[in-house]
Amino acid sequence: MVYYVAALSLILIGTYAVLTKKNIVKIVLGLSIAETGVNLLLITIGYVKGRTAPIFSDPSFRPEKMVDPVPQALVLTAIVIGLAVTALALAIVIRLYDHHKTLNIEKIRQLKW
Amino acid sequence: MLDPVLLIALPLLTAFLVPLVRRAWRPLGEALPLLTLLFDLALAISYVPRALEKPIVVIIAGWRPPLGINLTIGPLGIFMAVMILFVAVLVAIYSIWYIRVEPKERYCMLCLMLVTGSLGMVLTGDIFNLFVFMEITSISAYALTAFIRDRDGSEAAFKYLIIGSLASNFFLLGVVLIYSSTGTLNMADLAAKMPSVDPRIAVPAVILMVVGLGVESEMFPLNGWAPDAYSMAPTPIGAVFGAIVVKGAVYALARMLYTIFNFQGVIHFLVIMGIVTLLMGEMAALRQRQIKRMLAFSSIGQMGLILVALGLGTAGGLVAALFHMLNHALLKALLFLTAGYLVYHSGSKEIADMDGMGRRVPLLAVAFSIGAFGIMGLPPLNGFWSKFLVISETVKAHYVAIAALALVGSVIEAVYYLRVVGRLFFKPADERVRAARLPVSAFVSLGLLVVAVVVIGLYPGWVMHVLQPAAHELLDKSFYIHSVLGP
Repeated sequence: MVYYVAALSLILIGTYAVLTKKNIVKIVLGLSIAETGVNLLLITIGYVKGRTAPIFSDPSFRPEKMVDPVPQALVLTAIVIGLAVTALALAIVIRLYDHHKTLNIEKIRQLKW
Repeated sequence: MLDPVLLIALPLLTAFLVPLVRRAWRPLGEALPLLTLLFDLALAISYVPRALEKPIVVIIAGWRPPLGINLTIGPLGIFMAVMILFVAVLVAIYSIWYIRVEPKERYCMLCLMLVTGSLGMVLTGDIFNLFVFMEITSISAYALTAFIRDRDGSEAAFKYLIIGSLASNFFLLGVVLIYSSTGTLNMADLAAKMPSVDPRIAVPAVILMVVGLGVESEMFPLNGWAPDAYSMAPTPIGAVFGAIVVKGAVYALARMLYTIFNFQGVIHFLVIMGIVTLLMGEMAALRQRQIKRMLAFSSIGQMGLILVALGLGTAGGLVAALFHMLNHALLKALLFLTAGYLVYHSGSKEIADMDGMGRRVPLLAVAFSIGAFGIMGLPPLNGFWSKFLVISETVKAHYVAIAALALVGSVIEAVYYLRVVGRLFFKPADERVRAARLPVSAFVSLGLLVVAVVVIGLYPGWVMHVLQPAAHELLDKSFYIHSVLGP
């Protein structure tokens, strides 16, 4: 239960940061936090109390004694995707800073409708 | 008989080979992306007859669905794949001369990754796999937006990246919710188990997914990224966004709503969102002074029309939506690719500086006018048929007011396109603009697009032949389930 609450609050904190922060580095951080929340939720869904990781390192381990392996595979993929997105976002932040000499999103507004 | 997995694997492999091959032997490196895409297109076309007969289910690594990841190549998937590859080939031909900015291999890599991602989106049969391919598509799209290293490019890319990745987070959250209540990720298996899922979980999941896909498919409140990204990316990428990225997302939206969830209320909600998107897009386009921004807003408007047709929930409406998707992909590619050289020759992005280009570069202006007339829906061209179908199906589904509003949108569209066409032909040209000839690559790609536009306009029956089974695949859930999981 505590993991569900933690995951949901991470998602909400991240989304809040993306929506309200003015500093673009903080926006990228918010994005990362939201991603972590989703990953944690995914892991929590597959977790069954008292069971072990789904690795057959010992022949005595039985599948009934293990947690659901699918969410763990999904989370690995999602982490890699999150890494790529964060890296790209930070690269763009560096370039924005080079051009504008500021990280304040309110001062970077060349493009408007 | 080649393995259909090659359709996705080949562009992915080439994407990473291009820098190496370019270093070893430059001419081959230049030609490699185009050759790969041509081969892929031929491969996709060779699967069409079989896919129309019965969906091809490709089992990967010996895990049968619903356990493993599978590809499901049905009539709809193969139709989308051929469309994506056709536009990709033309953009690749066009880019040979147009993209001079080094490092060109990065441009080729990102384009190939984008094609890989969108092909994966339309062919996969697994919902998490769909998410992964969607991310491949959108990460390459973010990077391509920032490809020209100027100030506005990075700003547009940052905006797109933030909106896009927040949306894909929501989509993933939706996937998590569904997985927690069904324990499966296979689309056919999900479709079979969905009726027994508690609506208190299914409804939030579908909302999260519609929001996630709505960003990429330019649905109304979520499309703030589109005009900036379209106008700041290199021009051929504008064509790629309009014809590939957005179409892949709309496919995913249709697949979620029709095959997996099938909630009537949510489907009809699309009609409202579509018409709002249409009117907002067209009205914003009317105010634009830069040609690429105008085309971007026009693209939003056309996506609105497609969403309206998708939301009708009838077989006719789906055929109309798919037909309009194809036509919009061809026409918007034609418009963006011509706009690229119009901007190049006039030296400015402003519409006001394009006066008299029809006398200086006649072929270009004629191609632009054909695209404009097609998208307005003048009779001998392909846009006429699909627009006519969308509006008549909307009336048949008793949404008369929506159909009237869509016609209003078309009138606004005609106003701003005719304004540009009028400037091209009937204004005296600026002295500084010299008469110019088109490079062969642009001539070939624009010529092929014009031919496709006119031929589909004259013989719409050929395309209908493919579209009807595709619409049937979306409407008939049990057909999809049985063809993947077996009877």
